[in-house]
Amino acid sequence: MKHTASIISRYTADISGVCSALYELGGMTVMHDAGGYGSLYATHDEPRWYDQDSLIFVSGLTETQAILGDDQKFLEDTIQAAQRLKPRFIALTGSPIPMVIGTDFPALALEVAQATDIPTFGFNTDGMHPYTTGIDQALTAIATRFCTEALPKTPNLTVNLLGVTPLDFSVNGTVSALTESLAAHGITVHSNWAMYNDLDALKKASQAHVNLVVTTGGLGVAKLLQQRFKMPYVVGMPYGPALMAQAVTAIQTADQTGVNQSILNCTKGADTYFIGETVTTMSLATAYQQATGQGSRVICPVDAQSGLLTENELTAHDEDDIRDCLKTATTIVADPLYQPICPASARFVPLPHEAFSGRIYHDTMPNLVTDFAPFLQSLV
Amino acid sequence: MLKIAVYGKGGIGKSTTVSNMAAAMADKGLQVMQIGCDPKADSTILLRGNEKLTTILDLVRTKQDQFTLDEMVRLGYKNIVCAEAGGPTPGLGCAGRGIIAALTKLAEKGAYEKYQPDVVLYDVLGDVVCGGFTMPMRPGYADYVVVVTSGENMSIYAAANIATAVQQFQNRNYAKFAGLVLNRRNVKDETAKVQQLADDIESKIIGSIDRSDLIQSAEELGKTVVEAFPEAPLTQQYRNTGRSNCDQL
Repeated sequence: MKHTASIISRYTADISGVCSALYELGGMTVMHDAGGYGSLYATHDEPRWYDQDSLIFVSGLTETQAILGDDQKFLEDTIQAAQRLKPRFIALTGSPIPMVIGTDFPALALEVAQATDIPTFGFNTDGMHPYTTGIDQALTAIATRFCTEALPKTPNLTVNLLGVTPLDFSVNGTVSALTESLAAHGITVHSNWAMYNDLDALKKASQAHVNLVVTTGGLGVAKLLQQRFKMPYVVGMPYGPALMAQAVTAIQTADQTGVNQSILNCTKGADTYFIGETVTTMSLATAYQQATGQGSRVICPVDAQSGLLTENELTAHDEDDIRDCLKTATTIVADPLYQPICPASARFVPLPHEAFSGRIYHDTMPNLVTDFAPFLQSLV
Repeated sequence: MLKIAVYGKGGIGKSTTVSNMAAAMADKGLQVMQIGCDPKADSTILLRGNEKLTTILDLVRTKQDQFTLDEMVRLGYKNIVCAEAGGPTPGLGCAGRGIIAALTKLAEKGAYEKYQPDVVLYDVLGDVVCGGFTMPMRPGYADYVVVVTSGENMSIYAAANIATAVQQFQNRNYAKFAGLVLNRRNVKDETAKVQQLADDIESKIIGSIDRSDLIQSAEELGKTVVEAFPEAPLTQQYRNTGRSNCDQL
């Protein structure tokens, strides 16, 4: 059946992508929804929910408001909250009901901005696109609004990390380890889009030399910053020492030549399959190949026309299609919730992914920057 | 590029008026695009002869996103780019949401970039009954709203409603109200009644079309009056109305 998942989970949606990307930036995010999505986000998608404050609200959309197209309460509540809490910016996000009744979020954002004098973004999210598109929309909006000035470059080689959220990297030290590893190679992370940094850090992104796109959620920002400031970008998440060395070289080359680089270079192999977000999973397959000499197949169920895929990657989105792809697999690396549709004959290597299984396997999510070697050992 | 959304009470003659305006503008050498925003999908029928046109929502229904821009449009009289949004299965779904989906798809497929029209005419179903039918007046779509009305009370009532909606959306940067086109039904004091409406909504009558059997005669030929009877006084009225609209350029 098309567009149906009767056994496996589904990746979380664009609304969570927006909320997750903006969580630490000092803004106020309002989901226009009856309430169910707020619970979903808080419970499953946001590991920072209980440990770190953020202004995330649900509008409490009612049936009557939806039928009558009554935007007024949503506007008034948002304006009132913003005037009291004074966020750095406001983000309005849609959900399936506003999508169906054609709510115009950019127009509502205009009204809120006029009333509060606070920069406001309206995202036409609808819960029907993957989280990666939400991250991309949110980060691109931040860059469009706040990164307008070409600032002097830092004296040392610096990068901005683009597309960083717990949905792909959890809060298990992966991002900090990446920052430390780059520093050990003489490259400083100037800003992180968007974990462990505030809006002020992101505003100074044009000071960095190169952008490092670690998920597809960061690709839109990378293209925007290149267009505005001629900043080159490198695509790839450097797992393992060999890929890190390659990333360092790619960053240096991009800095020197101004030409974009990619460290994604996984060739087709018959038996081993990786499933997950495009950049991180292709990076993992590349690192696996560097370590073992073996090719693999990569399935990218949430790729939204990133332009990164080659003929070697598969874009199966539906459960039945993914199951068909895996028929001949002997080893499968994926979130544990994929296992029920994997052939019994295949060896399954669990790689929990917050965007797919939420908090279920949160405590066992590996930090593949520091623990790549043991992970590889479990794989081979 | 001038983009105009044409509204008005159902059955008032919007599609006929818009098609004739489109033909008149095309005669002047303008590249025109006409987009029917009505599940009936008959807005552009007089412009494309008997050329079949699959609606955008039918393409979405049968092919999801696997179709090209060329499948969504037909070139009609004087290369007018014709497209029809279409609608959901009768009795099901949401026509307003369908308009949003269709116009979004047209933009996604690069229709405006490829054809680079001088004028885009959105021929919108009836009244502004829900969010979907405001789509053509949202930022990125029409710059101006024109309402076709006769002197009949129900038509004037609908026109006033539409004008109120446009006024309410001004703080959202939606399209501006450009004026009324009087499509005569020969009711008593027709001009005065429509002029009163224009005064009440602080607007103006930007075109006036006489009631004429020529409209029916042209329809029987599958053509606009402008194409079928280019020398007729009625054609000149459509040309004048088209020119009034183009004055917005």
